[in-house]
Amino acid sequence: VTDLDLSRVWLVDPAAGREGPGELVVRDGILEAVTWLEGADASGIDDTGVVVAPGFIDLHAHLREPGNEDAETIATGLAAAAHGGFTTVCVMPNTTPTLDEPGVLAAIRGAVAASGSAVELLAHGAVTVGRAGETLAALGELADAGVVGFSDDGAPIRSAAILRNALAYAAPLGLPIVDHPEDATQTDGAEANEGLVATILGLRGWPAAAEETAVARDLAILGEVCRDVPGVRLHLTHLSTAGSIDQVRRAKAAGLPVTCDVTPHHLALTDAWIAGARRFAWEAGADGDRWHDDAIDTRPYDSSLRVNPPLRDRADAMACLAAVADETVDAIATDHAPHASVRKDVEFDQAAFGISGLETAVPLVLGGVRAGWAPLESVIAALTTGPARILGIPMPQGDRVVIDTEAEWVVTPESLFSLGKNTPLMGRSLRGRVDVATVGRPDREGGGRVAEAISRR
Amino acid sequence: VTDVIEGRADTAEVVVPSVDVEPGTQAVGWRHRHLLDVDGLSNADLDLVMRTADAMREVLARPIAKVPALRGRNVTILFYEASTRTRVSFEVAAKNLSADVVNIAASTSSVAKGESLVDTVRTVEALGAQMLVMRHSVSGAPYLAAEVFGGSVLNGGDGWHAHPTQALLDLYTMRSRLGSVEGRKIVILGDVLHSRVARSNIWTLTAAGADLWLCGPATLLRGFEAWAGKGAAAGRRFHVTSSIEDALRDADVVMALRIQRERMASGLLPSLREYAARYGLTAARLATAKPGALVMHPGPMNEGVEIAPDVAAGAQSVITDQVTNGVAIRMALLYLLAGVSPT
Repeated sequence: VTDLDLSRVWLVDPAAGREGPGELVVRDGILEAVTWLEGADASGIDDTGVVVAPGFIDLHAHLREPGNEDAETIATGLAAAAHGGFTTVCVMPNTTPTLDEPGVLAAIRGAVAASGSAVELLAHGAVTVGRAGETLAALGELADAGVVGFSDDGAPIRSAAILRNALAYAAPLGLPIVDHPEDATQTDGAEANEGLVATILGLRGWPAAAEETAVARDLAILGEVCRDVPGVRLHLTHLSTAGSIDQVRRAKAAGLPVTCDVTPHHLALTDAWIAGARRFAWEAGADGDRWHDDAIDTRPYDSSLRVNPPLRDRADAMACLAAVADETVDAIATDHAPHASVRKDVEFDQAAFGISGLETAVPLVLGGVRAGWAPLESVIAALTTGPARILGIPMPQGDRVVIDTEAEWVVTPESLFSLGKNTPLMGRSLRGRVDVATVGRPDREGGGRVAEAISRR
Repeated sequence: VTDVIEGRADTAEVVVPSVDVEPGTQAVGWRHRHLLDVDGLSNADLDLVMRTADAMREVLARPIAKVPALRGRNVTILFYEASTRTRVSFEVAAKNLSADVVNIAASTSSVAKGESLVDTVRTVEALGAQMLVMRHSVSGAPYLAAEVFGGSVLNGGDGWHAHPTQALLDLYTMRSRLGSVEGRKIVILGDVLHSRVARSNIWTLTAAGADLWLCGPATLLRGFEAWAGKGAAAGRRFHVTSSIEDALRDADVVMALRIQRERMASGLLPSLREYAARYGLTAARLATAKPGALVMHPGPMNEGVEIAPDVAAGAQSVITDQVTNGVAIRMALLYLLAGVSPT
């Protein structure tokens, strides 16, 4: 990466609550200047399609190391992150061994250093030992070691009593409990969102109520615990239904210390994709199905669409995007879940859950912006200041992304830095591309910070 | 890659093939390479299958029930789920057409050692399979097989999703007794939720214009009310009810579905006894249907549970016809697919 002269860009700075025309200059791979433009200099800049924003923060990713390096390594995962515009990534603890004690975090940090990546890696520690839901992990030691939250992600905290204790115990540590809301008694063997598509395809239904009852439980517990214990925080990750979003909206209005995130795939894709449809949630016909709308584009049962929670229907996706717009949703998180092909090139029911999502997040969410479902500023905030607030970190200075919102690119195995090629977008042309990501570095004089480009197309 | 895409257009006219000549040498208007589901079959397709099955019935009535149509073709029957009647029916059908038949039961092959479906399909193809008949417990598995297999895939039942040959033999059986199913009241009774037979029959019977009713305890109809409200496809409505009285009243056909014991363990039903009492097809209940209404069952039956023994063996039962017609239907489908299968 050498020189880059972006004299006419659209700057979005959610920390300052400002967006507008600007100019930036990169020399020798170093971002030298970012300037707001006004008056005559600024005219016509909003339609250049180039957006500059703070570096994105992903609060929910699976980089698989240690334990599943055939699916992803820290090095490839961080490269994928930079490629997708994420300059900070927070990993989940479902590694092997589980990140339930500081030694595992040290090993991960060793891998980060060895990777040479400048992407910042943060980590959630497990809530319970081995994510088994039985006894609390060493939350205090993990906090001392620097985790930014606690989660048993993928294994919902089944015991309400454990959740209650975890919330209380983590509060004085200043850290949130990040719950994956799912009532497992309703999802035993479940394959796809309960609804017309699952019924017709003969897939075992995964009811919206499985998520919504877990959200209700979590909020009821939170309501009680936060009356006794100051600083309690609950974060609900990858919400997927309109009913969950409504509950969070009401809980926030009532003053509960709750935050939530949604994934790009739950915003953009629907269960109709499992039937073979290939329309984004905001496109006409996306709420229909191949049998009534003639909306079939490809074969059904593509196992790359098997994800937890499942892809929902159009109304749910719309509710999630509307909640990004009104800031009920605090963050957009990728739930990047790379898998080796042997775990995905199998029958739908046998396939591992998850979508490789770091590198396609930007074009997916920009699609929603383009369709008018959420303003650009809200989406950028949900990728930057929102997750920073949840993770309790300052906005990294000098981390920026340059996005060409109009550029089209085709998702191919070679175009993804992630080892996980498991994406339903494979082979599709997407609009919106991260051209440059930079991270902040101390400047040569040591007095301030400049931004160094870490990824460039 | 799928028959659903390739097979959209309706065929203008149905030409009944002569089954004594090589498949593919006559223009019969069949364009599906695979038979994975019945949702993409047009009325003309259904008609062609029925007429071809008529021709196969004629073959079955010959002193030597065998034609050379599939001579030299390898039909591999790969079953991942226990089955007697469907597997044997396919085997008999393929042999009647002079195909070379290879039988693979998943429990006795390398599948038990953890080989993936994709690898198994590639292996059987390398061993010479040209047509693959497959049964699998996971919905959608045949679509995965069809993606990697160079020949034709016939779905012999996948999970809860589809059992195309069963629905076609059911339609054939009804048509041979009733003439046409158009406007006829047909009841599918029992465990609809877990039934690929029910799902496939929804497509074929609504396409053929039947007045279709699904009946059972509400726990076993979950999701079907919404589907019925929308219709199987545009304009193809059907009915869903838990009232067996409403369902059976003046019915022309009653098809009982097998109830499995696992349904009690998962809390969907209190007991088999209660099911038999409330939804079992008894002579008294059958009497509320039209006189002479047909009794059907895809098998295997739990006599005394979903169907009373005297009803199963009674004068109105066409259950053994279903079995015989199954061979003719499977011969017809093997023949039609062989005409478009790349070999």
